[in-house]
Amino acid sequence: MSTAPTQPGPKRHSRLVEWLKTIVFYEILVGMKATMSHLLRYRPITVQYPHEKRALPDNYRGMLALLRYDDGTEKCVGCDLCEAACPSRVIRVVSAEVPGEPTKRYSKEYYMDMTRCLFCGMCVEACPVDALGMTQEFEWAVYDKRQLYLNKQQLLAIGDRSFPVREKRLELQHRNVAFFNVSFSHVPQKPN
Amino acid sequence: MTELSVRLAVSLAQIAAVMGVVMLTVMILTLAERKVLGWMQDRMGPMEVGPYGVLQPIADGLKLFFKEDIVPAGANKFMFTLAPILAMVPALIGFAVIPFGPGQTFEFFGISVKPFVISDINIGILYILAFTSIGAYGIILGGWASNSKYSLLGGLRSAAQVISYELNVGLAIVGVLILAGSLSLVKIAEAQSGGFWHWYVFAFPAPQIFAFVVYVISAVAETNRVPFDLPEAESELVAGFFTEYSGMRFAFFFIAEYANMVLVSCIAAVMFLGGWNAPYPGTILAQVGLPQVAWAENIAWFTVKTYAFLFLFFWLRATLPRLRYDQLMKFGWKVMLPIALANIVVTSIAVYFFRG
Ligand code: SF4
Ligand code: SF4
Repeated sequence: MSTAPTQPGPKRHSRLVEWLKTIVFYEILVGMKATMSHLLRYRPITVQYPHEKRALPDNYRGMLALLRYDDGTEKCVGCDLCEAACPSRVIRVVSAEVPGEPTKRYSKEYYMDMTRCLFCGMCVEACPVDALGMTQEFEWAVYDKRQLYLNKQQLLAIGDRSFPVREKRLELQHRNVAFFNVSFSHVPQKPN
Repeated sequence: MTELSVRLAVSLAQIAAVMGVVMLTVMILTLAERKVLGWMQDRMGPMEVGPYGVLQPIADGLKLFFKEDIVPAGANKFMFTLAPILAMVPALIGFAVIPFGPGQTFEFFGISVKPFVISDINIGILYILAFTSIGAYGIILGGWASNSKYSLLGGLRSAAQVISYELNVGLAIVGVLILAGSLSLVKIAEAQSGGFWHWYVFAFPAPQIFAFVVYVISAVAETNRVPFDLPEAESELVAGFFTEYSGMRFAFFFIAEYANMVLVSCIAAVMFLGGWNAPYPGTILAQVGLPQVAWAENIAWFTVKTYAFLFLFFWLRATLPRLRYDQLMKFGWKVMLPIALANIVVTSIAVYFFRG
């Protein structure tokens, strides 16, 4: 067997040099030099977390929240699409008719089991009316797992504190879209 | 007062002082280790308790003291209780023969005492070696008595490691003993006075530099420190031999490990690095006209050497990954043992020819 280097790579030293390097622990000394250089030029890259916090990026995917329109009504129309999109079956929506408005629905009950959520954002993508949002909240350590089973009121509260700027109602944003049971001032009413 | 009672009182005072200093050092080490590791890895280490986390050891101690003390159901109760004691006592007992300062005698109530060594017995180093071997029983029994497979594996690894490296520690210091012609640590330290070229690492007929390297590596292995921390191996064995221990029992193992570190550092300083001798001949304090307090300078040098050695422990830990089990055995038996043996032969020949 020849020991000649065949492929290009780090330069091969003579066997004497290799041997010398072995007996003086050359690699270990190099490593120790590296750690010592970090000690001498000490610049910590850690953040003293509870006291100082990092600025999170805008697209941070934190705690989920339900949103409202600027007049305080809930955005969610109880369509169940988020429930269908969620890969880990976090969401449970019980939708119902808005009383007195037979074509309109809303979510009567809305539960999220955040112990299973993987913060993928699929539910937010799926929602047709942007009723779901991801906040920058991440400090959700609790002592009891059941505290992470959130109901609609809690999710709305999270949304209220995280998104103070609210959207206008959809029909006021998109005036040309046909909406049932909505009185448009600029559209002539159907004659009876 | 009879002479005996004075001697007893002096000895007790010495023991209390040494224990106090050792415990203080252990406390400092627990903090220093985390801080140094943090600095070397661009972290901060403990920062919460006190300014820059300096009160962390006290907080740790309180926490361990008030933690629930659990004995696992299937454990052998007697051995489970005995093991931490068996680990800790030998680690502390070794300090009885370490000379922390010059071996000069002082007059005290009409009797002469050596204040800086609890007991200057003429087989000092043998005594330490004998007792530190007992410390391994603590670890092995602790692993066995826990009735947990992981702990048992940790204990077994410790047994293998100890027989591989205890031997090398013993053989590495034989060269020094040949040069010094004594087993008394006080005599060995005194023989190295007069500048760093008299220290046994560099001493004339046969520099013990290879023995020193062998000793350092074996000492790291003896104290179960990285890269030889196989008995613990918290990434493989949960936490090794003390997995099942909690509260003060765990603290005993912990203190034992750190006390052992201090002990092997002291021995390294005494055997190879001149003990309490300054690296220049004599002491500065004696030259400026204060020979009465020259011992303070000597003790300072001893402290510096010991702490430098302890720093090396941290430094190695920050740098090296853990050795594999077979590598560890192979390295101990096939590399370190021949070097230590060759060193003995070379030293004997050199001493024979140069000293007559
Ligand atoms: S973020 Fe993903 S896992 Fe969490 S609720 Fe939405 S879809 Fe489900
Ligand atoms: S949150 Fe959005 S997707 Fe889910 S039920 Fe409500 S409207 Fe539909």
